[in-house]
This record gives sequence, C-alpha cells and structure tokens, in this order.
Amino acid sequence: MRFVSALFLSAAMGAALLMSMAGVSKAGGADVFKSKGCAACHYTDGPAKEKTIADQLAKKGPELWYAGSKFRPEWLGAWLADPKPIRPYKYNSLTEKNAGGHPKLSGGDAGQVKDFLMGLTVKGVAAAPPMKDIKKIKGKKIKGKLTFTKKQPCSGCHLYPARKKVTGGFTGPSLVNAVARLNPNWIQAYMENSKAFKPVKDMPNFAGILSKADIRNVTKFIMSFKPKAK
Amino acid sequence: MITMKKLILASFAAVVLSFGAAKAEETETLYKFYCAQCHGFDGNGDGPNVSQDFPVTPRNFNKGDVMGKLSDADLVNVIKEGGPSVSKSPMMPPWGKTLTDAEIAGLVKKLRVLCKCKGPS
Repeated sequence: MRFVSALFLSAAMGAALLMSMAGVSKAGGADVFKSKGCAACHYTDGPAKEKTIADQLAKKGPELWYAGSKFRPEWLGAWLADPKPIRPYKYNSLTEKNAGGHPKLSGGDAGQVKDFLMGLTVKGVAAAPPMKDIKKIKGKKIKGKLTFTKKQPCSGCHLYPARKKVTGGFTGPSLVNAVARLNPNWIQAYMENSKAFKPVKDMPNFAGILSKADIRNVTKFIMSFKPKAK
Repeated sequence: MITMKKLILASFAAVVLSFGAAKAEETETLYKFYCAQCHGFDGNGDGPNVSQDFPVTPRNFNKGDVMGKLSDADLVNVIKEGGPSVSKSPMMPPWGKTLTDAEIAGLVKKLRVLCKCKGPS
C-alpha cells in the first residue's frame, strides 16, 4: 500500500513537473521568438490586422496568431530547425522566386518556439488527428479531387502531387507536403471562413461557393497526397 | 429567360460602370494583386502561374478582336462567377465573394483600356 502511494505521488510529481516544463518552454519560446527577431516579419497577436492590399503587401511574412491551429507540431519543430521553401515565389511577390534562406533556429530554440507557436490556437478548430488516423478523416476523396482539379481553380495556383509528377501553379503555397504540414481541421475552418484568418489575400473566398461538404471532400483529397521530394 | 438575365446583367453593368467603378489607381492595385497571377502584369495572359502544365491559355486582354466580342456584362459575369459561367475554363476563379461590384466595374474599365476595344452594343 505504501509502495502504491509512493508510486502515485511520484507519478503526480512527474506530471506536475512536465506541465510546468511545458509552461516554461512556451514562455521561453516567446522570448526566443522575440530575441531572434521573428516578430519583425510575423505577428502573433490576433485577430487579423490587415484591411487593405497595402496592409497585406507591407507584411514580410505570414501571420502566426493561429499557428497552433494551422500546423502539425512535429512538422513545425522540424521546419524551424531546417526551413525549406513552401512557396515557389517569395511571400507577397509575383516576380521573385523563393530561394529559401529563412533563418534557422538551433534544435533547442526550434523546440521552444514550436511550443510557443503551437499555443497560439483559435476556438472552434480541433487539433489535428494523429497521423496514423489521417486516412480516417471524413470526406469523399474522389469528389474532392474533382473539385480541386476540374471544377475549381485550386491547381492554378497550388502545386500538388498528381499521379506521375508534381504539377499546378506557383503563386500560392505548395500543397505537396500539406499532409505533413497542415491540420485538416484548420483547412476546413479556413476554407469555410477565410476572411477571419486572412481578410486580404490573392486567393478567392470560397465561402458561399463551396459547401461544407465540398470543402470536406477537398480537404480529404489534400490529405491523401503522398509527400514528394520537390 | 436567358435573354432576361442578360438584359438585367447588362443594365447592372451599365449602371455600375457609369457610377460605381473603383478609381483607376485602386484598380491597378487590384489587377496586380489578383489578376496578374495568371493574366500577367501587362495583360498578355502570361502570369507567373502559367507554365506548360497550365491547362488553358489565360485570356490575353490586349487582343481587341477577341475582347471586342465580349460585352461589359459578359466581363462582369466571368469575373464574378468564374469561367464556367460563360462556358470557359474553371481556371478562371469566381471572384464574386472577394471583390465588390465597384471593384469589378473598375477592372472591366481597365480591360477595355488594355484591349482598346468596346463590347458589342
């Protein structure tokens, strides 16, 4: 009995320690975010601030105030330590190719900033399902593919992995690796009400054009992509 | 019924184009932000998205002979509702939930400047 109590006590202390460490990591991540100059290009306090095209073009990088709802933590941590271009063109540019060069963070800093950013969530967007369950998300992949590739112009601006090669347009972020990067629940929320996240953007608003079911199907299709090297 | 719809659209386009169009400077900003992605900065249909894989050739706005066949109402309609609304490619997105009527009217005016043409009367 004494042994069980001691075990319980040490488990509870361990859990408390882990929780407090997570708190330290988030707070430390905010400090690292500031000290590394990340805030010069990315704002983290929502809601969205941009009202005009000039506001949007003045931004040097994407807003991150809902990063914890948008990204997968494992992808975000790895990307911060070894960033690779997501957009074929530089952010806010239609003329300059994206040659990469986003600042790298050391492993420890990347982990702390990841924890900080993953704490920036919005109500109503559930966390991403575990990767092992990604094939179980609701939706009809074939219908989503039809919408994405034939009925709507998604492929006009976004790269995606077709059967034989990566294809699509270049002015939007690549979706080739979207399954590893994005929370499908965020894709659904964003497509249903993109103005709440990005009031000014060069992608059309599809709310009122695509139904919730259409968006679910498109999300299912995007989540079926097998990441490729490009 | 279709004729009636066309008539309403034409009247709408005429009214908006006459009174409610965005200013030329704002229109230029809109064009560069939205349209240039596919139609190119000079309207030649050669924007940064257009590669060998692009399934259609975006409209070249400088071709007066083709643009002259489209009425202002046609242009308003295709910008608002997208390519399929005029039996064209879905690669032309529906911008009706993104742009205001005045902004679309301003863009139609710009297209008429580029093509140096008027639509059928």
